[in-house]
Amino acid sequence: MNKKINRILITFTMIITILAAFTGCSAKEPAAANTKSTGFAKLQEQGYVVVGLDDTFVPMGFRDAKGEIVGFDVDLAKEVFKRTGLEVKFQPIDWSMKESELNSGNIDMIWNGYTITAERKEKVAFSEPYIASRQVIVTLADSAINAKADLAGKTVATQSASSSLDAINTEPGLAASFEGGEPVLFATNNEALMDMEAGRTDAVVADEIMIRYYITERGQEKYKILDEDFGADEYGIGIRKEDTELLEKVNKTLDEMKADGSSAAISEKWFGENIIK
Amino acid sequence: MLSYILNLLPSMLEGLKMTISVFILTLALSLPFGILIALGRLSGNKLISSIFQLYIWVMRGTPLMLQLVFIFFGLPVVGITFDRFDSALLAFVLNYGAYMGEIFRAGIQSIEKGQYEAAKVLGFGPTKAFIRIILPQVIKRVIPPITNEVISLVKDTSLVYIVGLGELLRAGKIASNRDASLVPLAVAAGFYLILTALMTEGFKRYEKKYAYFE
Repeated sequence: MNKKINRILITFTMIITILAAFTGCSAKEPAAANTKSTGFAKLQEQGYVVVGLDDTFVPMGFRDAKGEIVGFDVDLAKEVFKRTGLEVKFQPIDWSMKESELNSGNIDMIWNGYTITAERKEKVAFSEPYIASRQVIVTLADSAINAKADLAGKTVATQSASSSLDAINTEPGLAASFEGGEPVLFATNNEALMDMEAGRTDAVVADEIMIRYYITERGQEKYKILDEDFGADEYGIGIRKEDTELLEKVNKTLDEMKADGSSAAISEKWFGENIIK
Repeated sequence: MLSYILNLLPSMLEGLKMTISVFILTLALSLPFGILIALGRLSGNKLISSIFQLYIWVMRGTPLMLQLVFIFFGLPVVGITFDRFDSALLAFVLNYGAYMGEIFRAGIQSIEKGQYEAAKVLGFGPTKAFIRIILPQVIKRVIPPITNEVISLVKDTSLVYIVGLGELLRAGKIASNRDASLVPLAVAAGFYLILTALMTEGFKRYEKKYAYFE
């Protein structure tokens, strides 16, 4: 009986190997997004650069109803690489994996409302900041919270793993005074706002550019943004540390676009005002 | 409202395509792989049997999400690189193969010894006896638990977002974020329900077809 099972086992191993080899070949897609290149010369040789983005980040990079990747950062990246003579491909990634994607060479840069922080600087090289924003406090329009000090004993929500959370944590005393001793974390700003409307959260801390989009979508009259904030932040483009030539090219092109007003035009299109730094 | 949903459909269908391809390929590969694992686990050779036991323990004992991350981001460190879709498929087949394997093992062990003896008397060799006599009876018995796994699989396909593949739930989340609305998520739920309904009905018919003697 045991010998029999072993013989059957061998037969099945062979069947599986053949099956796996067969589907392995047919399932192969062109490995277009798998660039292993470092160095600008290599990028030029292959003719394209891969930008990694989380396609849920409205309005920086997301998908429109037709499924096309669009957004402020997307337009900006397209213009930069049109001038650099490279084609640009956008690869959707999971945001929590962005630095792994970059350093394993699956993408060449992270360009998607990527806030410059000291911690991230250890892992990636940043371009010059191209947008300045701030970490604002949003409440419902009729809320009694009018200053940072009013947040004590209140439920405060923010996006998990975000620069907003880092900003809150720079004031540990204040964070500890929140209901529960720490902020409540949501996957997206939209969920944090929904929770506030449901009455379970009193205030949301978020990046001003990101949250303004949702406030406009959900109805501006429902919310207010406090004058006090959790500090300023800046967006940069994340590039592998060894890709210095690519970084220089991006910086130089962004400067040119600022000088000739083309980045201002892209900003007007998405935000109705020029917020280019 | 209806026009909004119609507007959502193209991008959702695009996501559905990914969901269905991961689903069908995983199912097609993990079923035969599962039989292999069951046989390995049942092997009289202690070494082979314990290797397969270890394999089943690791695959069922760690989250599928972690296995996906490990295969896509971890293996390139040691020089093995798969593209996004292949990594996802590999992780799913390895993981689901382990679950299917234990189901098939239960099925194989439930077949009475007399069946093997009868096959031998009739002059069947071991491999032929297994494929022609034992396996059909096993399949018949394991359809209900397999249906369970298949329904789990439909929903687990949503995990492939971690390697950057756009599937149905992801498409729903994108639209939900863009339009600050929960409707796209409800539409995604609808698609999942349709998929599981189709699977349930399909396996029910299959079960009926094989319900001879009962």
